[in-house]
Amino acid sequence: MQSNQTFADLFRSRGVSRRDFLKFCSLTSVYLGLSPSLAPSIVEAMENKPRTPVLWIHGLECTCCSESFIRSSHPTIEDLLFNMISLDYDDVLSAAAGHQLEAVRHKIMKEYKGKYILAVEGNVSTKDDGVYCMVGGDSFLNILKETAADAAAIIAWGSCASFGCVQNAAPNPSGAAPVSDIIKDKPIVKVPGCPPISEVMTGVIAHFHTFGTLPELDRLGRPKAFYNTRIHDKCYRRAFFDAGMFVRSFDDDATRKGWCLYKMGCKGPTTYNSCSKIQWNGGTSFPIGSGHPCIGCSEPNFWDKGPFYSRLAEVPFLGSDSNADKIGMVAVGAAAAGAAAHAAVTAVKKAQSDKLGNDKA
Amino acid sequence: MGRIIEEIYVWRLPVRFYHWINALCMVVLFATGLYIAAPVLNPPLGEAVWYKGMGWWRYLHFAFAFIFIANFLFRLYWALFGGDRYARFGGFRPWSPEWWGKPFREQVESYLFLRSDEPNYVGHNPVAALAHFIFIFCGSTFMIFSGLAMYGENNPGGFNGVWFGWLIPLFGGSYSLHFAHHLLSWIFPVYVIMHLYAVFRHDIVDRTSVTSSIITGYKHKVEEEP
Repeated sequence: MQSNQTFADLFRSRGVSRRDFLKFCSLTSVYLGLSPSLAPSIVEAMENKPRTPVLWIHGLECTCCSESFIRSSHPTIEDLLFNMISLDYDDVLSAAAGHQLEAVRHKIMKEYKGKYILAVEGNVSTKDDGVYCMVGGDSFLNILKETAADAAAIIAWGSCASFGCVQNAAPNPSGAAPVSDIIKDKPIVKVPGCPPISEVMTGVIAHFHTFGTLPELDRLGRPKAFYNTRIHDKCYRRAFFDAGMFVRSFDDDATRKGWCLYKMGCKGPTTYNSCSKIQWNGGTSFPIGSGHPCIGCSEPNFWDKGPFYSRLAEVPFLGSDSNADKIGMVAVGAAAAGAAAHAAVTAVKKAQSDKLGNDKA
Repeated sequence: MGRIIEEIYVWRLPVRFYHWINALCMVVLFATGLYIAAPVLNPPLGEAVWYKGMGWWRYLHFAFAFIFIANFLFRLYWALFGGDRYARFGGFRPWSPEWWGKPFREQVESYLFLRSDEPNYVGHNPVAALAHFIFIFCGSTFMIFSGLAMYGENNPGGFNGVWFGWLIPLFGGSYSLHFAHHLLSWIFPVYVIMHLYAVFRHDIVDRTSVTSSIITGYKHKVEEEP
């Protein structure tokens, strides 16, 4: 890969027409919630600025983030953008391997010191000095610390890197920790989702490339442009929710009619993501669109808030699986039993003192 | 039967209004809240655009929540500035070891049948004050803050989102906050059972007409039987 290549150069070399290039730029500006007058600045940045080098490292993860791009049915412009980025360093997608590849990583780290973006897919095993995730003969814990030291910013791809995902679900045997627990002194953008939507990923990179800053983040460190509203807020089945028309089992008539999946455990009302807006695979569908309740995969610790198919989470209580209502009913029962017992003792004491009084009289 | 020898005006009109509005709000909020979590009614027939079934349950919950909040704020105002000796915070000092001293211990012992006489208070006794602080003051405060945080989710970047939205990351996500709100709503039925039992029992044992006092405002002292 020649250095100082711009995104526009790359698109041209891959046979993308200027018309498609401009479409990509304007679409990205829309996704980012920018005003139409800012679309030309994206075009200008894509055409003139040397592309921002991205090092993509993989920790404890399932590669679903990478898969979500390379598995798309036709090569979209987002794929090109990402394939190009991975060419710098991506130990999963690169043709080179071993010492050769590690040399590339060190070269980028030296040449673009303080300028490159570190993309992290997966999280960090911290138990026993991180031996449960070894990459290239070193623990991923060390690799992350080393690579992050000179990065301009870190993008935490996916729920693993953002919040921990299945790896740090209870009981978390490998001590898996999200990137933000390890690296404290760098700006981190969290792009949760298992996997995140590809347009969201390109949008974040395009924003950094155009403006040189990270997009505006919410309280959990996620870009507001994509994670500001819940799936529920833009869901095309919302009308059925408001009307009180719910699917009650996966084989009933309501399922065929496409009613709301709230009672089937849909986590859409508590999940911040763009699935119901942007959808997946070039707008083909998204889980609720395919008749499956949202499992809340972009929310922190969603594995421990299960089961997926009931609204109310099960929690361990008095040695059994329980939920908020069961615990509440036990508490109410205990209060009623306590009151009844207290009343009984009061009555017995009263009878005793009456008897005493009568005896005296 | 003992003769009524004294009539004491304990609960002034604002306190009685607060009490009953609060009671109504608690019942409505608990019922609509449970329904929102588990909408059990059968779906209506026809097109979704004709109905607002679930929407109305949520609307009721939100409307009564705002009445509950206004009522709660009024009660705080009344406690701090109302100049009402039976409804102020003045006597309640759980941070001072003195407060946990003799009167509190006597009341606890009385409830545990460790002493035969009942200490008699015109207003709240120290155990009742503590129960109200935990269930009504702390409980309502949590429900109000978590409720407003979740209400703010409907309008990202709005007033409630900005002022109360910090509870969402604090609890580790929107779902966990919903769960905490749902779980802690059960303190209200628990409280109501204990409250009603204590009121009825005091009325029967002490014969101070405490049950009707929250309607009339008056408690009574009866002549000790010879």
